[in-house]
Amino acid sequence: MSEKITQAKVRMYRMGTGDCFIVKFYAAEKEKFTMMIDCGVWKRSAAELRPYMEDLKKHVNGKVDLLIVTHEHVDHVSVFDLCKDVFIKDFEVKKVWMAWTEDDSLTEITIWKKDHGEKKKALKQAVEKLNAIVGSTGFQNSIRLSASGMDALKAKESFVETLTGFAELHMGNDPQNYKGLLEGMRVVKEEIGKGKIEFLYPGDIIKEIPGLEGLRLYIMGPPRDWDSIALEAGGEGESYRHNNELKGVDAFAASVLSTPDNLSSILPFDERFETVDPQDMDLYTNSKNSWRKIEEDWLMSAGSLALRVNSMTNNQSLVLAIEAEDSKKVMLFPGDAEFGSWASWHKIDWKGLVGPNKIHYTQDLLNRTVFYKIAHHMSHNGTAQRQGLEMMNDPELTAMATLDYNSIAAAWKNTMPNRAMLKELLVRTKGRVIIMNEDNLFYDFNEREPLTDKIKAARMKMTTQELKNFQKNLEIGEKDRYFELTVNL
Amino acid sequence: MSDNLNIKPPFRRLRGYAFDPSLSLRIDTALINSIIYQVPWEEGLKPGPIGEYIEVVDYDPTTGKYYKPVDLNNINIVARDGVDPGENNPQFHQQMVYAVAMTTIKNFESALGRKVLWASQRVADKHIYEEYVQRIRLYPHALRHANAYYSPLKKSILFGYFESMPANSTLHMPNSYVFTCLSHDIITHEVTHAILDGMYPGYAQPSNADVLAFHEAFSDIVALFQHFTFPEVLKHQISKTRGDLAAQNLLGELAQEFGSAIGNYGSLRDAIGSIDPVTKKWVKAEPTGQEYATIMEPHARGSILVSAVFEAFLTIYKTRVKDLLRIATGGTGVLPQGELHPDLVNRLASEASKAAGHVLSMCMRALDYCPPVDITFGDYLRAVITADYDLVVEDSRNYRLAFIDAFRRRGIYPKGIKTFSVESMGLRPGSFVSDDTKQLFKIIVRFLRDYRNKVIYETDRKKVYNISKEYIGGSRAFLKRKVQGLHNRITFKFEDSFEFEQLTGLIFSDVFTNLGIRESNAYKDGLAGASFQIQNLRLVSRVGPEGNQVNQIGFALVQRSGIVIYQGKFKEHYTPGSNRNRPKTQFEMYGGCTMIFDLDTLELKYVISKPLLDMSLIKQKKHQIDRERAEQQYQFQQEAGMMELNEHSLYFSGGLKNDINEPFAFLHQ
Repeated sequence: MSEKITQAKVRMYRMGTGDCFIVKFYAAEKEKFTMMIDCGVWKRSAAELRPYMEDLKKHVNGKVDLLIVTHEHVDHVSVFDLCKDVFIKDFEVKKVWMAWTEDDSLTEITIWKKDHGEKKKALKQAVEKLNAIVGSTGFQNSIRLSASGMDALKAKESFVETLTGFAELHMGNDPQNYKGLLEGMRVVKEEIGKGKIEFLYPGDIIKEIPGLEGLRLYIMGPPRDWDSIALEAGGEGESYRHNNELKGVDAFAASVLSTPDNLSSILPFDERFETVDPQDMDLYTNSKNSWRKIEEDWLMSAGSLALRVNSMTNNQSLVLAIEAEDSKKVMLFPGDAEFGSWASWHKIDWKGLVGPNKIHYTQDLLNRTVFYKIAHHMSHNGTAQRQGLEMMNDPELTAMATLDYNSIAAAWKNTMPNRAMLKELLVRTKGRVIIMNEDNLFYDFNEREPLTDKIKAARMKMTTQELKNFQKNLEIGEKDRYFELTVNL
Repeated sequence: MSDNLNIKPPFRRLRGYAFDPSLSLRIDTALINSIIYQVPWEEGLKPGPIGEYIEVVDYDPTTGKYYKPVDLNNINIVARDGVDPGENNPQFHQQMVYAVAMTTIKNFESALGRKVLWASQRVADKHIYEEYVQRIRLYPHALRHANAYYSPLKKSILFGYFESMPANSTLHMPNSYVFTCLSHDIITHEVTHAILDGMYPGYAQPSNADVLAFHEAFSDIVALFQHFTFPEVLKHQISKTRGDLAAQNLLGELAQEFGSAIGNYGSLRDAIGSIDPVTKKWVKAEPTGQEYATIMEPHARGSILVSAVFEAFLTIYKTRVKDLLRIATGGTGVLPQGELHPDLVNRLASEASKAAGHVLSMCMRALDYCPPVDITFGDYLRAVITADYDLVVEDSRNYRLAFIDAFRRRGIYPKGIKTFSVESMGLRPGSFVSDDTKQLFKIIVRFLRDYRNKVIYETDRKKVYNISKEYIGGSRAFLKRKVQGLHNRITFKFEDSFEFEQLTGLIFSDVFTNLGIRESNAYKDGLAGASFQIQNLRLVSRVGPEGNQVNQIGFALVQRSGIVIYQGKFKEHYTPGSNRNRPKTQFEMYGGCTMIFDLDTLELKYVISKPLLDMSLIKQKKHQIDRERAEQQYQFQQEAGMMELNEHSLYFSGGLKNDINEPFAFLHQ
């Protein structure tokens, strides 16, 4: 029994905003098991990424016992595609875990995916249409006639840029050739992991994995029902911001995707009410009224669609809690799960397992969490408040965030990091928050207090011994390529 | 008799929904859902409809289709009070938006006592500067979204429609469409945004937590109380109620029901009350007094104002029906068994609708007494009280007290008020000014009287606009000779007047160049003056219930100062417009004041000021911008306000300072 796991080393590769983790497990000094979680980044070239991946390959010795792919977003899977050869040649992946929502053999999933895919396509087309309108000389000329026209044009352009970012997050750099699956995900499903993929469900408890003696793995998400997946934020006190319900995006998507052939299905009125009489159309088409045209306005609804599609994908993240049987310590890897997923963890039937004082076992797991991979790059709804962070009471809590302002979609900067969440996290971890890159990150909106200073200040709260341990356990990789944290279990 | 045939009818009767189409599917409300809107008869109304104030353009960019515009002068349509209500006929949609928009405009005009003018179109060409906008444009089918908004840039209201996915699927058929252009409350709400924008373009600038909330709340208040002015919709509900005859529950529930089918619009009314989960009965929400100090998210904050006004309305209504209830119950307060007597129902409904009409007018008239920028709920309360005080001398039913009490219960206090009473709440007549200044004011007022005589009987809105513009800017064309405008007169007469600066809180001395204020480019002949804008020159000409006349004239002065903030503190000034690529910590602070003159006494009656200047220093004849306010505003726009933005705004509109990407569209996301 001396083979029980006593230590884990969590290595976070610092390629840019996006997740790539190697977790090695040790029994005393002996390396026993290698786990890899995700491999993606926001927009970097293969050449830039190669050194990181070569380091990774060397580090794992060309062999991964378990690869976990949390969800299908560019910043979690892109490098499987960009540096594909690294993973195909002299690289062994023994097993792959994915969320049940990736199991294409289930009818409900194929139906849902088709619908979800339609929304992504609608998003893409909306971006194209918007680009065409906002970029057209007619539009630009007419908007320039107005006093605040240049500002309005800039605002529209920045909207389109944000929207393009969302489209690329779901469809890669080449939305034109998007086939319904991100290339990175396809590489894992059809090449790296072919025949080795296991799909997991919330409530699954996996024990006795060879090499992981003394550990239990709990699957908490994605939720089993679509309603929870669709829920991106809770109310006051639940997630770190109140969010309004978004409606009607289905109708919007259908309308964007309509072609002259199937137009009739989206028409609200009988044909007999239509007119093509130039006299009836004159007020709108007359060039002296061009400043009042509304060709692009309706396409701005794509913003809501983008957020919806984004949240639904995030909520399909495979959520994993790793518990040490003896010490009861827990490591939490939630992918990018948002509020709907977090809330559902508290309804899982853990088959008789309960915490002390009969609290739900999920709450117990959160109470004992010593390592937390911060969900969704520290966004406002990536971490639930009452049902999440506020339950993480363990004095040893340390957190890692995959946020890097040097490589990030522009609009994400407005929501990441979320200040309220960050504040709470700094208190709970006593400053043991390890961010991929603190450059250009500020604690406040005025950019007065660099986050680095704030973290330093928070770390003063640690005892000398705690600080010593923390410093000892944190290693910075060669050429700053990674952070590696030793977690004693 | 034959003479009558040449007299135009006063009204055009148009059928429309009282609520929205979903209530036509419910047997208990189907009967009352269709009402007849009586809108002023517009001569020369063209197919569209295109009238004096609005043009309905039924082009749907989501499908590329144009729908045949309705001709409301078609004899078949006139004869049956408009097109039959129906969701599947776009011509009815056109009629509905027209009818409700015109009803709203008419209500504003009768409350304000003058014509409604839309915000003018600001053009890039500096020589033209702005152009008159005669009609606001209504697009009934413009978006595929549960949203509708007013676009200040396009002077248009865009209504969305969507396939319904309601919480209660029994009300809407699956896959049926929901049209926001068929909801009385949505149309009124958006038209009110447009009217408010015409009066106070500065309210689109969120300089404090109340500004955007005010825009939303005010629009909702107008929608709500306009709805209550239709006695038909109240009667049915009142006759249904047994028990609580004061019917405050009923009215509150009804207020919320109006908003229920329309998503986020209804959320403003959630603060009024809620359905008790146990008894399933509607209960009024009791304020804690902390609301105003603690709730910051624009919609939730707006709902504080809505609920305050609603409570004032309930108090007023209850006072009005007290005697009726005594009569009906023989003084016992206990009703006999059986149905309510229809006469009683009629009387109660008419009292409720009358009270709603009064509250609506009070709320609208108050606009004339608001500051042109940076409004707070406290400012608005003072404006309501002042407007009412001027018009209705004897407040026999304690309307004003009802308002003050409802606001107080939510923690809304105007700044700088020492006691909470009707007397202290009303604005003070212009503070003591020297005889010299009084003389100057007299000259100004005489000039304004001239203006009054020109516009008072002018019915052509474009002429009113042009006359106002020329009286502000001065011109040869209209007045036949070169005449100094109001702007020029103020610049001349009050140059270096400390007293005027004290009154307005704005800068008219030579020091303006050091205070981040642009030089006015209105005068090319050597006169250098501080740049400021005159907005909303208007007559306030009303007759009160006791026959007393209010004979005032008002306008707003607005000035901006460029400010650089460093590390949260004021650092220095810059001149607005001087550089396009401004650093992130630079912003423009707006100050402004509304001046109301009494045309009978030739005196300055009220000044409602949001000073740019530090008022404690100007007393010592020292000019300095109010740094505390600058820092607060900056902090709000950069930080506090950001925390309250919804996810959509955070991702897509780049924060609070960006008011260009359709400010009202984002608020409803």
